[in-house]
Amino acid sequence: MKPSRQHAEKLVTDDDARPERVAPEPKKSATTGPRPKLSEYDFSNFFFGSGDDPFVMVDAFDDWWPDARAAGYYLFVGQPMLTPPVTRVDILEAKNYTKLSNLINFASYNYLGLSYREDIREAIIEATGKYGSGASGSPILSGTLDLHDELAEKVARFKRTEASLIFPSGYSANLGVIAGLMRSGDLVVTDQYAHASIVDGIILSKAKVRYFRHNVIGDLERKLREFPGKKLVIVEGVYSMDGDLAKLPEIVEVCRRHGARIMIDEAHSAFIFGKNGRGVAEHFGLEDEIDIHFGTFSKSLGGIGGYVAGSQKLINYLRGFARSRMFSCALPPGVVAGLLKALEIAQAEPELRVKLWDNVGVMSNLLKKSGVDIGSSASQVIPIMVRDDERVFQIAEELLHEGVYLNIVRYPAVGKHRSRFRISVTAAHSMADLEQGTEKIIRVLKRNGLCH
Amino acid sequence: MPLTRYHFRQAVSAFFEMSSEGARAILPRHLEPLEVRHSRGVFAVTAFDFTDSMVGSYHEIVLAVISPPLMKGGAMPKSAFYPFMVGTSTREAREHAIQRWHLPHFMSDIGMDFDESSGQIKVKVFEADEPILDLTVTEHAWTEVDHLYQAFTIDESERFKADIHMKGRFTEHEEEKGEIVLHDHPMCEQILDADIESYPFRELWMKDGVQTFEELETI
Repeated sequence: MKPSRQHAEKLVTDDDARPERVAPEPKKSATTGPRPKLSEYDFSNFFFGSGDDPFVMVDAFDDWWPDARAAGYYLFVGQPMLTPPVTRVDILEAKNYTKLSNLINFASYNYLGLSYREDIREAIIEATGKYGSGASGSPILSGTLDLHDELAEKVARFKRTEASLIFPSGYSANLGVIAGLMRSGDLVVTDQYAHASIVDGIILSKAKVRYFRHNVIGDLERKLREFPGKKLVIVEGVYSMDGDLAKLPEIVEVCRRHGARIMIDEAHSAFIFGKNGRGVAEHFGLEDEIDIHFGTFSKSLGGIGGYVAGSQKLINYLRGFARSRMFSCALPPGVVAGLLKALEIAQAEPELRVKLWDNVGVMSNLLKKSGVDIGSSASQVIPIMVRDDERVFQIAEELLHEGVYLNIVRYPAVGKHRSRFRISVTAAHSMADLEQGTEKIIRVLKRNGLCH
Repeated sequence: MPLTRYHFRQAVSAFFEMSSEGARAILPRHLEPLEVRHSRGVFAVTAFDFTDSMVGSYHEIVLAVISPPLMKGGAMPKSAFYPFMVGTSTREAREHAIQRWHLPHFMSDIGMDFDESSGQIKVKVFEADEPILDLTVTEHAWTEVDHLYQAFTIDESERFKADIHMKGRFTEHEEEKGEIVLHDHPMCEQILDADIESYPFRELWMKDGVQTFEELETI
């Protein structure tokens, strides 16, 4: 019998309980051949497969998964956090179902440390008390509450655009905007590292897509050249796996020269970059050159949802054509009230951004000083390059047991053997968190020959 | 038919993004292109330096489109491909591969140079004085492997699948360090308009190994 979630909860509530090692049931291979060798396969091998049965890859995956899970993929199944995403967290480790306590948290993207602030919690409770749990309708029918309008207005004011539109998630916002605007026969050009929601939005739009090599402006120009129709270029302010910035000045210049509209996804940069926190576009002084500003509420504001900001006529149009918004329930009132409060704090307390950037400087310097490869990061997203798809799991386990919780990024989320850890630095981290966390990370990396 | 073995010194391979339309135009109707991302198929090049086989030693270049493997039980292949153009350095090798595996060939002898130095290998493929393609592949960590692949072929009336085992020292990565230059040569004419990227998203390199073909199956 596999350990169940119930079983896991029992272990957590019983401090004396030792993790029970449950021998897996002998498993019959779903295929007639030998079980796939763990090290030779990854998720990408189970995506495509022709045959007569739609479950053909499900069976093959089921042959591979038990060994893969035990070997490290359990780190991807979602290890339950038992505390708020504060800087020290408890989690339920998903291999042996043991509780790991007081881990230094570099995994949550709560960049300004807002999700658990008392004033935000109070705003959520108050709105939930007044409006109840949900909006109970699509935003274009009965789902828009006064809170939603207030949030859209305040986001637009913050972004210094004429209007904005609120979506239930960042993913749905990208889907809604891209598929709402672009059509079959149009061209979307995006960076090869574009987020899945951008790619899925393009797929949904049926527009032709060309990917340019990451931040290589010459390749962007090559991909735009000689296309006669409507062109949209989509870049991200901060790329979420590498923490580097779009080369926006050059990108804007190329787009203008080729008559392409520009959309920037500021999921990891809004409320952080720029003098006023308006994002990478503000950082480069190019806000007015951007046609579509996109962002999420789940990163710096610590809630959930997405927004698109731009001209009034663009927002009017998208209100009618962004299907992912029209056919989803509006955000719950408690969430919206929390976001309103978070937005207010993000603007009223610039010292949070100052603290964040100080923390980023401390963390980057400590890592670099020890020879840790942090790639080309220039943001609060700091990768630690491991470049070994097998060992990344083993080192991650060591880090967990050393007391550090961070994200593992492995193929196919990044290229083969471009595996890494991803650190999210927040304004909430104390100097002790950063120093102790870095010390632990370096200790483990050193043991594994990844730094000096 | 017994297993057919080809011993090699070098098997240098790289995967490049190409347009899915370009891939679909090359594939027979029963195969679909595998997309590495939306609307982007995969063009694969493999250059072999065979040291021993039924037809002696020879060089071979294989141009292929990656397709999903055929899953009907049995071991799961690492990947599957449809070779649409093969060039060899000897007539014997060509005739053997056409007869035994139904592989489509460029019908003149080609030449190949393998130049290995400091973690990379450069392969130049040419016909007499005419360049065909130049391929550069770089290394990552080396390991011993035994990988299973599927190759699909056709003739006028039938469709085939061959299981191929590749055993030897192996390195693979996606650091995008390699390069390809496709020249205006008849061997490349099917792909010159397929929007092939000049850098590989995946580089694979094997040394001192053996390629084993299982019996050809009709599918």
